[in-house]
Amino acid sequence: MIAGRLRVSILWMLVAASASAFGQGSDAKVRVDGAWARRAAMLTGVDAKAGSGSGAVYATLVNPGKESDALVGAESEAAAAAEIHESYQESGMMMMRPVQRLDVPAGKKVEMKPGGYHIMLLNLKRDLTAGTVVKLTLQFQNAGKVPVIAEIK
Amino acid sequence: MNRGLLAFLPLLVLALTAGAAETPDLRTGVFKPPRPAPDFSLRGSDDSELKLSRYRGKVVALGFGYASCPDVCPATLFFLAQAKEKLGAAGKDFQVIYVTVDPERDTPERLRKFLAAYDPTFVGATGAPGQLADVRKAYGIQISTQVPSEGNPSVYYVHHSSFVYLIDRGGNLRAMMPFGVSVDDIAHDVKALLSP
Repeated sequence: MIAGRLRVSILWMLVAASASAFGQGSDAKVRVDGAWARRAAMLTGVDAKAGSGSGAVYATLVNPGKESDALVGAESEAAAAAEIHESYQESGMMMMRPVQRLDVPAGKKVEMKPGGYHIMLLNLKRDLTAGTVVKLTLQFQNAGKVPVIAEIK
Repeated sequence: MNRGLLAFLPLLVLALTAGAAETPDLRTGVFKPPRPAPDFSLRGSDDSELKLSRYRGKVVALGFGYASCPDVCPATLFFLAQAKEKLGAAGKDFQVIYVTVDPERDTPERLRKFLAAYDPTFVGATGAPGQLADVRKAYGIQISTQVPSEGNPSVYYVHHSSFVYLIDRGGNLRAMMPFGVSVDDIAHDVKALLSP
């Protein structure tokens, strides 16, 4: 019984070690660094049509590999939907538009930050309270699903 | 570009050229000479009347935005809240007033909850669409409403000018801060205006 458990443990250690070696290899996949979200209140009120408010998550997408990748989608436990958006200036106004894909070229980083690219959380399901976290899954074209924990500031 | 903004442009140009040398004490964009902030009376997020001139004696940051805005408005409010925290006890005379550009969705209650996530002392203002349009005109604020998806018309954005005005204790416009000014610079300028 104990020997069996030991064998299972060793097997898992080998799996973990090979996974980690793979992650640092030349075909390393995109990773998500420094994810954070801004505190925001869930807005419930008299008019349900107005929605329950939105939030934004920012992170740096790092592609250490030799192949380009792209962020193509997102979801979060804290919101009814999550979309990739870009804020930009035009004629002195801050505008915002949904983005279908955010390219992360090989060997490059893409920083998402206030006033630029962000993951918009639509219709919050709860308050985003400073000091806690929000969980997301980012969908990349090549790297697939990447779980992310964003610290709420 | 509307007439309200056009009226401000020469002042801003003057500020950027002359103001930099003669008024080095503000970093975020200077009005020189200062001009009285147009007064207005709207409905406050505490459900009482909100009249700008009642805030004489305080330094006011006046911004425009809406509660459903995910990025730029919350970032602006977040920076203002951090600047206020930096001021410590002196921050009690710094008042943020946030005027909605989306009165259809932003009830006083909704604005109150939205703002309280950043600082419970921040006050919101709403009103009839015509009243709000007059205030925007007086301050040169432009808006443009966009529905990104025809299938879901209840989701829409209100693009808007994102600068924030600083108004001194005497009710005069002193600075027009573009989006992205650092927390340190906001705190610096508010402190300068709070100093007797």
